[in-house]
Parts: sequence; C-alpha cells; structure tokens
Amino acid sequence: MVTPIVMPKFGQMTEESTIVEWLKKEGEKVAKGETLFAVETDKSVMEVESFKDGTLLKIVVGVGISVPVQSVVGYLGEIGEAIPETPVPERRAPVGAAPVPTAAALSPRGGTPDTIVAAPPAPAVFRVSPRAEALARECVVDPHPIQGSGPEGRVVERDVKAYLDEKDYWSLRVSPAAKALAAKEGLDLLAVRAASGSKRIEVADIERAVAEKPAPMTKMRQVIAQRLTQSVVTAPQFYVTVEADMTNALAHRTRLDGGGARYTITDFIAQASILALKEFPTVNSATDGRNIRWSSRVHLGIVVNLDQGLVVPVVRDADQMTMAELSESSKTLIERARAGGLAPDEMSGSTFTISNMGMLDVENFTAIINPGESAILAVSSTIMKPVVRGDEIVARPMLKMTLSSDHRLIDGAAAARFINSIKAKLEDNGLWNTLTSS
Amino acid sequence: MEHFDVVVIGAGPGGYPAAIRAAQLGASVAIVEREHVGGTCLNFGCIPTKALIASADAFARIRDAKSYGVSVSRAAVDYAAMIDRKDKVVTQLRNGVKQLLTANGVKQFTGTAAFKDRNTIAIDGETLIGAKKVIIATGSTSAKPDFLPEHERIVESRSFLSLDWLPASMIVLGGGVVGCEIASMAATLGVKVVIAELLADILTPLDSDLRAEVRGHMERTLGVRVLTGRPLANISADGDGVRGAFGDEALRADLLLNAIDRRPVTDGLSLDNAGLKANERGFIDTDEYCRTKAATIFAVGDVTGKTQLAHFATAQGMTAAEHAVGQKPRRHPTLVPNVIFTSPEVATVGLSEAGAAAENRVVKMGKFRFSGLGKALAAGETTGFVKWIADAASDQLLGAAAVGPHATELIAAAATAIRAELTARELGETIHAHPTFCEAWMEAAHALHGECIHAAPRRR
Repeated sequence: MVTPIVMPKFGQMTEESTIVEWLKKEGEKVAKGETLFAVETDKSVMEVESFKDGTLLKIVVGVGISVPVQSVVGYLGEIGEAIPETPVPERRAPVGAAPVPTAAALSPRGGTPDTIVAAPPAPAVFRVSPRAEALARECVVDPHPIQGSGPEGRVVERDVKAYLDEKDYWSLRVSPAAKALAAKEGLDLLAVRAASGSKRIEVADIERAVAEKPAPMTKMRQVIAQRLTQSVVTAPQFYVTVEADMTNALAHRTRLDGGGARYTITDFIAQASILALKEFPTVNSATDGRNIRWSSRVHLGIVVNLDQGLVVPVVRDADQMTMAELSESSKTLIERARAGGLAPDEMSGSTFTISNMGMLDVENFTAIINPGESAILAVSSTIMKPVVRGDEIVARPMLKMTLSSDHRLIDGAAAARFINSIKAKLEDNGLWNTLTSS
Repeated sequence: MEHFDVVVIGAGPGGYPAAIRAAQLGASVAIVEREHVGGTCLNFGCIPTKALIASADAFARIRDAKSYGVSVSRAAVDYAAMIDRKDKVVTQLRNGVKQLLTANGVKQFTGTAAFKDRNTIAIDGETLIGAKKVIIATGSTSAKPDFLPEHERIVESRSFLSLDWLPASMIVLGGGVVGCEIASMAATLGVKVVIAELLADILTPLDSDLRAEVRGHMERTLGVRVLTGRPLANISADGDGVRGAFGDEALRADLLLNAIDRRPVTDGLSLDNAGLKANERGFIDTDEYCRTKAATIFAVGDVTGKTQLAHFATAQGMTAAEHAVGQKPRRHPTLVPNVIFTSPEVATVGLSEAGAAAENRVVKMGKFRFSGLGKALAAGETTGFVKWIADAASDQLLGAAAVGPHATELIAAAATAIRAELTARELGETIHAHPTFCEAWMEAAHALHGECIHAAPRRR
C-alpha cells in the first residue's frame, strides 16, 4: 500500500519546515526507524525516521523548499505501486521572514558591485522572442531588465541590441574562457567588472563574481535576523554595567574543584541571577506594550555559540533546582546544543537569558533582549585589574556584566538594583558556602 | 662615491634585463658582475649545452642520413671542434649583452659586490657606489655534496662543458634536467651513459606519460642505462676511472657528472649589513612583486628559490626594475613554460595532470601523437605527442605539454593560448596551417572533445 510521507510538526510554533537532506534515494529500501530526511525548522535541524518498512517510491519535495507542516513530501510503498498525482508545492518564503531575494533579483546592474540593487518591477509575465533570447544568451547578458517594445511588452531582438549599445556592451573585452564560465554560472557579463588596472574580464573576475553572488542565509540565520530585529524594533533597550570582584567566587570554585564538584563561572552567575529574579519579579516578566505577563517560575536561557549561529537552550524551572541540579541540567543542555540535538521545546519559553562571552576575552559588551523577555545579562571576561581596597591598590579578578533592559517594563533604578543584587551575590562567600554544601 | 638610481648585482638573465629595463625607464643604472655577463645561462648552462646539442643533432642526422635517401661515407665526431664552436657562440652572445648594456648607458663594474649598508655597495671591498634601489640577481651555482670526493674525473656541468674531450663512458649522478640533457647529448655522440637517480624515476616533476616517453627513447634509441630508486654509494675515483655501487651492482666509468643540486649564491653579499637574511635554505625571500624585507632592495632569479629558469628570472627582473624606478607595481607573471632539451625534447606550461589531481580539479585531457601527423611522417620525426589539460566544466585550457620533435618551440603557442584564456573548443576552431607540427595542438584540442579527425575514435 502506498503511504504518503508528511512533514511533521515540530513543536507548537512551527508552521513550515525545509528539508535540508534526503538520506534515502528514490527506489531505495527503507527499514522502520531508519532516517528518511533531515529538516531545518525555525529552531534547529531534526531527523525524520520512517514509521514503517518499504521502498521510498517518490520524493515530492526536494531539498531547500519550505513547505507547510503536514504537507506530503514523498511516498513510501512497494516497488511497482502507482503513486497518486500530487501538485508539487512551489517554493515559498519562510513565514514571518522577509522574502529571500533570489540571486537574479539581486545581481547588481549599473550600480557598483557592492551595492545590492533590487531589480525594477518587472511585468507580471516576462515575454521574450526566441531570437532576442538567443542573442542575450550568446552575449551572456540577463534579458530580464530589458524594456520590451514588442506586442504586450515582449522583448524582441532590436530591444536587446539597443540595450547592449546603451550599456556599452561592445566595449567589454572578455576572455573566451571567462565568457564560457559566466554562461555556465548564469552570470550577467554586464554585472561583472574587470580587476582594477585591467580592461579585460578574465576568469579570475568571473570567479570573484561567482563567489560574491548573493545566496540565501541558512534558516537558522534567518531566524536569528528576524528575532533580533524584532527585539530591537519593538523594545526600547538601555544598558547598565557593573563590575564584580570574583576573588571569593573563584576561590570557592577552586575549593569545590578539589572536592570533585565542578562548577563553571556561568553556573555561579546563573544561580545569582535566579535568586535576584525572585527578588525583582518585573525582570522575570514580559510585555507586548499593553499587558504585563509575570512568570512565577524562572526559565533560564543560556546562549550557546555554534559555528553556524546561536541557539538558546532553556533550563526550565531553574528556580526550583539546587545549584548542583542547575549545573548538571545546563551542562547537559549545552552539550546537546553543541551536538545539534535539542528539541524545539528545549529552545523556547525562557523568561531571562544569560550570554557569557567570558571565554572570548572581552572587556564589556551588550546583548540584545530575546523577544518575549524583558532583560538579558551580558557577561564578559574575568580580568586581573588594579582596584582600590581600603587605601591600597590591589590586583583583583574583575568581571564586567551589562544588563540590557526593556524600558517599557523596567526603569533605570530597577535595573541598577537588580544587577547590583547579582553582583552582591557573586561576592558573597557565605552564600556560596550554603548553596554548594552537600 | 658615485651614485645610481638602481644598482643590479649579477649580470645573468635576471640581472641584465633588469638593468636595461631600468635604464630604458630613465634611471641611472650600474651593474656589478664578478665573472662574465650573461651569467650561468649564457656562459655555463642553457646556451653552451644547446650549442653542443645542436652539434650532436647534426651528427645524428648525418649518421642517419640513409633513412632520408642520402648516402654519406662516414660521419665522425670532432669534439674539440664542437667545443670550439660552442665557445664562439658564447663569446658572441656575451659581447652582444655587453654592447646592449653599454648602448643603454648602464655602467658595468667587474668584481664581487657586498652591502656596506642598505644604500651602499662595495665592489671587491674597494670601490664604493651609492644606490637608491638595489636588485639582487646573484643566481645559483652547482653544489657538491659531501659524499663526492675531490677528483678531476668528478665534474659538475660547468667544468664538463669546458672539457675538450669526451669520455668513453660516463655516470650521470642525478636524473634531473641538467643530468638528462647532458646524458642525451653525450649518448648521441657515442658515450656509454649510465644515469643514477635516487628517486623512483628521472625527471620526476613531469607527468608520468611524458617521463615514460623520454625515458623509453633514451633507453631504447640512445642506449642510456637508467638506474633509479637507490643512492649511488661508495664513490671513489683514481687515474683509472670512477667507481660506485648502485645496490649490488658495481659501476665503473671514465667520468662522473654531478648533476644533483644547485645552491643560491649569497656568500660575500654581506646581506646582514642591509638588514636582510637568507632563509634556512640559503635563498632570499621575496613576494610576488620581487620585494625583499628591505624596502629599497629587490631580488630576482634563482637566488629567490622560486622557479629556477632563465626566462622566469627575466620576467622577475622586469617587474623588479619597473618597481624600482617607481612605476606602478605589478605582480610578476606566473605562467612559466618549462623546456627540457633531452632527446626527445619535453616542454610543459601551466597545470599538469598531477597538479590537477593535487588540487582536486576536474579536468579533461586531449592527446595527439605525432605519428598521426603528416608533417611528422614527412620529416621522419614521429616520436612523442602533445596534450592539453582543460577545465571539465568551462573548457578553459589550463595546461599543455609536448614531448617530441620541436616540443620546446611548440610550447610557445600553448602558453599564448593559456594566457589568453582560450577554451579548447576555440583552439580547435583556430585554423592551423597544414602540414606543420603545430597542427598537433589543434588535433589534441579536438581529441579533448572526442572529435579528432585524424585519430580513430576511442571505444565507448
């Protein structure tokens, strides 16, 4: 029996997904539980397993096409079985994101190569005569921007000729191999420039143009772009920075290390933040501009940097955990995030986020609030610095933290008190003794 | 102290063109040479070997004249006369270069140059001259490895070329370009030649099909013995001859030619006075504009440790000279043809098959053998082939090689086509005159697309 394979729904918010790789070919045997294809959702890449034995009869949705969840992406069955007719879904832009421009629409024409100029609004249907098209192809020029003078705006040969004259095409000198390569890569010779000092377009120039051709960002980057832009556009953000003396926390951590309990700096900061969030409920809230939604629990987001972008795993109910549990839980989540194995629900629902760049040797930085929250803590490197203690100048390990706050909810004084509460906790030796005694 | 805009150290094929170019561009130029103008190439390398190879070829043609329907009673080799002719050629060229330098107003100094500081050069420790810019073109020289004893029967190429007698037998140590050229020439003149090469094959930078063609011809037609893959051990020499052991085999010959390696000439330059230092292999590091680490000092040719070829040194010399007189800097060209005057000749330019494999580049090849060419048959020269290497996707010609008659001349056409970024299709569509050896390029370009007229189609 032929069974349709559908695009699963990963998590509450997922409306569309894109297949990034088919691990089986058409006509290949598939066992139950084997991976059929990999899907990029708006949060991560997931693998989809076959739910029964059979043969992959047909792939309906190829790689790179975004389709709504529950769409049929292929058929499973036995060899020789007939497949029902299905319309192949058209490429659609990701929901909510700006449409991803295609390379053709972006090829800079007339402008300098580093400015990206959108193509002029083209007529709904592009009409071109075979002769005109052949001439454009022969000249390796994109005919789409040409104004047609034929019936219904059809581009005819004389239009292409006039266009080539107008663009001074005939003064271009192009090496034969460069022209062949440009044709193969679908480039427009008018958009390629010779290297400075040369009037002749050579293979190296085409290779440069190919390398510089705009390409769609990965789904992950598109999501990052969309969410961070949304945050900056909707939330008026301001920043408060403090510097904590880490002498006690570091010494305590070293002592615990000796006893076999391993904590990271992030664990200390996370614990201090959770305690502070209980004291300042406004910071553990969010607003849409009209309503305020307080969260009784702290769901702590921790930014993890990957090669291809960022993910924010969420430690749920972090305020209910002991420090040992918090440490263990965040460690597991971070490891899974690095391995690309987080489920969508493990990456959503945070109420406050920490971004730690301490390992990247930074003095100070600000982070952008995760949409749906009202503040984010940016943690910088611990640096030995001269500080005044009493009347003496002494060297101390100092850590700068900057809180970004949504001013719609949090005023300056509240932000200052909140971040100073974190600082005070970090410097409080007695607190750590209590929290980490087993 | 006399002052110059540009001082060139070394008057070889890197130095003298640099001096002339700088003078053409209006600079006051001096050139310092410790031996003869023309350098190794003109005096002890390219030119004298080619003069002797021409004599050997003339002998071979006359000896084999019968196959062309010409009867000759007896051809004999007068090696001393050949050497005499070679010396005349060298002298004539050397004088020509001197006159060119003089005509361009280049002041010539004889002696060893050394840096006093970045802008002062001492000649033989006496005369001081000032230089705004310096171009180092001191070249390279034969290197004698420690395991070779000092003896008059053990010579390197330079002293070999000044002998006025030929040995009856000869061991050539090192199957590189110099070794194989001299081995071919000597064997043609009747010397029993053994090549001893440490590596697995001779002429190893070449693609294997080219090597096989040259080696096969040298072994079968010239009677050269080629021994590879082992060191020549226990080398000794006395009045009786030279001995060595190649594995279990004991070798004996009248003469041993050391053709192993060359080393850069930087001794006596006092580079440290100019704030420069040779690298661990003795070469002076330069960038693609021929700049050294010192702002006013350039270096070109063998001393830079890049491609050690006279014509590449000349190209670098032009770049350095233009840069030194303040023209807009340009990178030196990198498409360098390589020509080897063995019998048969070999020439390559651009990408090789091995190079394509190393770069994981997908390429197509087109080969055409001279035996399929009317002109080659008519001329009685049918050994070898030409081949193109083109990008599989764009059809761009990336590399070419020729082995066989006139290969060293034929390669120029290929270099021009590659430099102009022609495609194989266009080269094939270019009309080549019939009957000529050059037609082989056109045929090979067709072969690349499986559309050769004068070769049977490959079985599918």
